[in-house]
Amino acid sequence: MRVALRGWRPLLLLILLIGCWELYVDLGGADPLILPAPHQVASSLYTDRSLLWSNFLVTAREVLLGILVAAVAGFTFAVALHFSKRTLRPAVYPLLVASQTIPIPIIAPLLVFWLGFGILPKLVVIALVSFFSIVVTTLAGLAAVDPDLVKLMRTFDASRLRIFRHVELPSALPGVFTGAKIAVAVAVIGAVFAEQAGSNSGLGYLFQESLPQLLTARAYAAVAILSAFAIVLFALLSLAERLALPWAYAPKGDLP
Amino acid sequence: MRRLVVPAVLLTLLLAACGEKQESVSPTGANTQNLTLMLDWFPNADHVGIYEALANGDFKTAGLDVHIEVPSNPASPLELLAAGKVDAAISYEPEVLLARNQNLPLVSVAAIVQEPLTSIVSIGSKHIQTAAQLRGKRVGDAGIPYQHAYLETILAHERIPPGSVKEINVGDNLVPAMLSGRVDATLGAYWNYEAIELAQMGKHPNVIRMNQVGVPTYDELVLVVRESTLVDHPDEIRRLVQAIGRGYQAVRSDPNAGVANLVGANPGLDSKFQRAAVRATLPAFFPSNPSNPWGWQDPVQWNAYGQWMLSNHLITNPAAVADASTNEELAGQGL
Amino acid sequence: MTEAPTEPRDVHGPDGIRVHEVIRTFRTGRSGVDALAGMSLRADPHDVVAVVGPSGCGKTTLLELICGLQQPDSGTVSSPPAALMPQRDLLLPWLSAIDNAVLALRARGVGREDARRQARPWLERFGLGGFETTRPAQLSGGMRQRVSFLRTLLAGKPVLALDEPFAALDAITRHEMQRWLAHVLEAEPRTVVLVTHDVEEAVLLADRVIVMSGRPGRALAELQVALPRPRSATDLAVVELRERALGALGVQR
Repeated sequence: MRVALRGWRPLLLLILLIGCWELYVDLGGADPLILPAPHQVASSLYTDRSLLWSNFLVTAREVLLGILVAAVAGFTFAVALHFSKRTLRPAVYPLLVASQTIPIPIIAPLLVFWLGFGILPKLVVIALVSFFSIVVTTLAGLAAVDPDLVKLMRTFDASRLRIFRHVELPSALPGVFTGAKIAVAVAVIGAVFAEQAGSNSGLGYLFQESLPQLLTARAYAAVAILSAFAIVLFALLSLAERLALPWAYAPKGDLP
Repeated sequence: MRRLVVPAVLLTLLLAACGEKQESVSPTGANTQNLTLMLDWFPNADHVGIYEALANGDFKTAGLDVHIEVPSNPASPLELLAAGKVDAAISYEPEVLLARNQNLPLVSVAAIVQEPLTSIVSIGSKHIQTAAQLRGKRVGDAGIPYQHAYLETILAHERIPPGSVKEINVGDNLVPAMLSGRVDATLGAYWNYEAIELAQMGKHPNVIRMNQVGVPTYDELVLVVRESTLVDHPDEIRRLVQAIGRGYQAVRSDPNAGVANLVGANPGLDSKFQRAAVRATLPAFFPSNPSNPWGWQDPVQWNAYGQWMLSNHLITNPAAVADASTNEELAGQGL
Repeated sequence: MTEAPTEPRDVHGPDGIRVHEVIRTFRTGRSGVDALAGMSLRADPHDVVAVVGPSGCGKTTLLELICGLQQPDSGTVSSPPAALMPQRDLLLPWLSAIDNAVLALRARGVGREDARRQARPWLERFGLGGFETTRPAQLSGGMRQRVSFLRTLLAGKPVLALDEPFAALDAITRHEMQRWLAHVLEAEPRTVVLVTHDVEEAVLLADRVIVMSGRPGRALAELQVALPRPRSATDLAVVELRERALGALGVQR
């Protein structure tokens, strides 16, 4: 409840921005074919709603699966790098960073070449753009574990695995959530690029297909839906974070 | 928290399993052949005959299970074709020659659009009705080398010094470039696409087609396959080509039904626009000589265009030009 | 300390703790810091030995050596298995009080319910009865120290290494905790090495007080505290020993 009430401030700002945008276009600031007015976008959201919805479902599935893959792979990767601090990590980490610099228009056709025309190449693209933040934040979370805690566990004769399970893993969880929230925001826009890889459906495809047809308002509508989707996912993750990590949000107080 | 991991993994696998089954480029049942056809671009009016054939079951009747794919970028179709990832691709005559120049063993088996669609387009207020009026103007194009060569050829044809025309790379954004006034005209827009868009917007476009101003005529859209496919599966290609031909012929008899099938398969398309585009393009889908079958490619014209590419240093290997196209799979041919 | 952690080597000796002429240096780049330079300490089973000294004299290093977390560069350390009670309570914020208390058991592989069952009566005895499921953030400083101590006890080792356990508490709570610890140790005798900067605390709790020098640390003096328990800070004997210890530390009064 409190979250919903707090949301009115950004909503107000958003409405203000949309108002300015509407004025700008209506007063002739830009050609509607290049920058449509908000009311045109809204109109497209209504008239094209079934088209937008069916394509949204396609993209949503790709994004959710892609993030899931990125989360599992990213987490596993981070744990592996954490356990192999001296050998794997210095070798792999720079490559990981480099992987983010490869332009997607180069990767996408390559993936189609290897993986065909199904959902797989799109999953790989989405997973690729989301994977990085999860690895980085999880690894940072694992590395930031209090060394004194680890020492304490060693005096309890804890095995490496038990130290990981009882201390390092729970300590790193806030980091995992942070990485996931970033990943979610990035993945949704990544879907637009992902659908360059052998698609004939999805909001990204619809967006690309609408531009040469000068259906710019519809292209914007597709993006608006993607943005809203990203916000919803972000909010859901924040909720999940509060449920999974109640201790990080509990009020602190001293009892006598 | 631990308890969420296993169900999450299971959910992933389940969702992935619900995905589309992978394409296979191999025979399925005893009677139907799987076949992947990659378009040159997003589905549009130029492809109306293909979607008509699909909707009417012409492919099925021909024993083919055709899967249509949309490319991620304009270079993909021939790349993927050469790499064996698709069985047939739609592309442009210059691209086929460029590919063969790179020793890619590809061959064009049918012309889908029998003449150039590429044009010099400008909005009415610019008053560029003839090529001579390009002097001193800014022309936008997508930066493709052969488009640059078209411009040079046109200017030479009109005896305009090349330096007097400013060529600007506007990428794919031809119409916005014209609307914003950043360029006076564009080269690369199609007279059956962008020009119709501009007309529907009330911009009264002026159109100068390539083959009207000194560029040798060519087939704008062609159907391309690997040479090896022609050798190993000529019958399959023949059935594909002739089924597509039937599709275009059906559209000629009933263009509205054709548009309905095009838009039915691609709900993102605008019916009104596609109808106008299909009507405008219809004549170009068929050879000028009615005794030639649908898809006819004129060897003389292909050779002339190939020579033009050679003399403009767009290709270097004369062998690329010979045998770049064949009519043997068309109806009534090669038997 | 920039040392890479090494695997604890077996330092288990038969009976008491024997630390003999231990030198321990930490290298940072080319220079080194001498934490301990010839430190010796002896504790017989069920002895409570307090170690007092100024900050940075290597007290924590000494405890870590006894617990087998570090190896001496020179000299010998031998000790029965030791459990560490760290200076900061290091309670895991995501675990309840009882789950924190059983951490050592879980570290050994004991199941969660089994471990909790073992811990419950102890929580009662330590006055934490209704706070089993409370998280550390909602516990007072004194309660957190009690949970930390219980965790150390439940590790089931004959030696307890306590690193300034009450340093972070306010004076009132500290006095309460000192009384409480004396009481507990009476009921559950262990070999205890207690590191503290509070000389009075050392005299109140220990059988022997070892006074350490500043860095590099070594033993300056050893005081026998052969006084009956319970002791009070106002006892003359306690005050006198406190003064002697402070004198040994070189503190002007």
